[in-house]
Amino acid sequence: MTAQMGDPVLDVRNLTTSFRIDGEWYPAVRGISFALQPNETLALVGESGCGKSMTALSILGLVPTNNGRVEAERIGFEGRDLSRLSDEEMRKIRGNGISMIFQEPMTSLNPVLTIGFQVTEALIYHQNLSRAEAEREALALLDLVKIPSAKSRFREYPHQFSGGMRQRVMIAMALACRPKVILADEPTTALDVTIQAQILALLNELKAETGMSMIFITHNLGVVAALADRVAVMYAGDIVEIAAVHDLFARPTHPYTEALLRSIPRSDRDMDTLHTIPGTVPPINRMPQGCRFAARCGLARDICREKNPPLDPLGDGAEHAVRCWVRGDHDLPALTEDAHV
Amino acid sequence: MTDQTESLAPPSTRHPFVDQLLKAFRTNKLTWVGAVIFVLIVVVALAAPLLSPYDPLQQNILHRLKGPGPDFWLGTDAYGRDILSRLLYGARVSLVIGVAAIGSAMVIGSAIGIVAGYYGGKVDLVIMQAMDVLLAFPALILGLIVVAMLGPSMQNLIIAISLTAIPPFARIARAPTIVVKERDYIEACRALGYGDLRIMTLHVLPNVLSEILVMGSLWLATAIRVEASLSFIGLGVKPPTASWGGMIREGFENILDTFWLSLFPSLAILLVVFSLNLLGDGMRDAIDPKTRSDA
Repeated sequence: MTAQMGDPVLDVRNLTTSFRIDGEWYPAVRGISFALQPNETLALVGESGCGKSMTALSILGLVPTNNGRVEAERIGFEGRDLSRLSDEEMRKIRGNGISMIFQEPMTSLNPVLTIGFQVTEALIYHQNLSRAEAEREALALLDLVKIPSAKSRFREYPHQFSGGMRQRVMIAMALACRPKVILADEPTTALDVTIQAQILALLNELKAETGMSMIFITHNLGVVAALADRVAVMYAGDIVEIAAVHDLFARPTHPYTEALLRSIPRSDRDMDTLHTIPGTVPPINRMPQGCRFAARCGLARDICREKNPPLDPLGDGAEHAVRCWVRGDHDLPALTEDAHV
Repeated sequence: MTDQTESLAPPSTRHPFVDQLLKAFRTNKLTWVGAVIFVLIVVVALAAPLLSPYDPLQQNILHRLKGPGPDFWLGTDAYGRDILSRLLYGARVSLVIGVAAIGSAMVIGSAIGIVAGYYGGKVDLVIMQAMDVLLAFPALILGLIVVAMLGPSMQNLIIAISLTAIPPFARIARAPTIVVKERDYIEACRALGYGDLRIMTLHVLPNVLSEILVMGSLWLATAIRVEASLSFIGLGVKPPTASWGGMIREGFENILDTFWLSLFPSLAILLVVFSLNLLGDGMRDAIDPKTRSDA
């Protein structure tokens, strides 16, 4: 089964991130809550613009303050509430307790600094190591992420590394201070498929070795199946379905989840069975009043266009919750007839 | 991402800026000429006490206003001082003032520019408006005002020239900073918990350094020119210390009879400015964003 339910490493409650457009505030992430268990991988899945990356940036306090705003009831980490910490205190947590891996390995390393310097810097900064100690540690890290002949490549520049190798370096930097939580924002999206598989295997291995937890952001459900313990499907800033990975694949309940699963190309099926989801995610300043997915949903009823449904657990004891009037466990007289579509 | 023109060559193991500099020397022979001339001038200035045939300050009324000849290669001035010796020592004055002024302007100006570009918004607006006000004065006029207020001395000359050079350095540092701060690796730095000061000095500065250094070589020429101009109008280094601008002015009084008094220091200034411009232009072409490998 999934990781044991104990004290979560990261406890996000009611996180809302808003942006100002033409003087008005619009939420990009709307009151989402989830708890990340020790050594668990939680996948955040959804189309572009669903608020996945914003969720990660909000947890780290990296949302630009000039036109962005993060509110949360609580972002619990190691007994502290990250949403109440000053920037000074947050800096000690970033890269140390919680670190992040970015999508673009080609541009996420500084082109004019050596690989060795960039990995070493994080160690010196957070752990007060001497340069010699930090360099030894950095070499060990580069070996850990399986960079061949790390020692001789220590003084090389990023342009001498391939995309996959650069992503390994990024992972080494993120792991440098043995963080409790890694936020991986589509770390394999920019890589070749074979390299993707290597990086995913590496992340899985490192997770088992170090006991860290991971939030893995992706739009690739194949990656989710390979890596995640639990999945939260996001749509337009809401979590619309959250479940253990096998539950979700066995019993996709939200129409959006279902549609996402149907839109994975499969080699054993004809192209005819490949579905697309018509329409796009509504822009954050023009969100519909009711369920955000109603306009693209084949099951939408009147109530869907009027009220956003709550994220309610399915009444079968499993940790499976869905935000849907039609498919959720709702006793609305007008809906009962069609509840088993 | 990767440079298309060089994608077939194995990636170099050198620092990207070193690569750019080497490219400047490889593709443009004039850069070599500039560099060689300038290095020669620096060596000559350093070795002035060894190379000078006479004491640059020693007056000798018997030998005054001698033309170029075997005893005094470039002739003597109205006080009978050897012009070659004064020229060599004058190079030291020009270089010291130029390097000190541009060095400090480079440090202060780039710090200002990086801070303005990095923080943006109101900080940027206020700082750059102030820089624009300074920039509105021509270098010579601003130097004139400062020296007139503080009095002529080597130190005040350095302050005056560096003040005129700060705004251009602020601008040249600010522009790439605005680009660099949006790069993913700066976001990655924030995600690693680095503070603004660390990001600016360790991560932004190395990326804008090439622009600043190239600008430095071009402005060194300007500084030497301004120093000569101020000395020419009597606001520079105090006589009897030899300075090129001062020598031109001293020769100016008898220019029709003894033209070499002004000619040789003029040629010296011309040579320094010319060599620095060749050097700076070559390097500037090499770091042009269109041909840069990491842009």
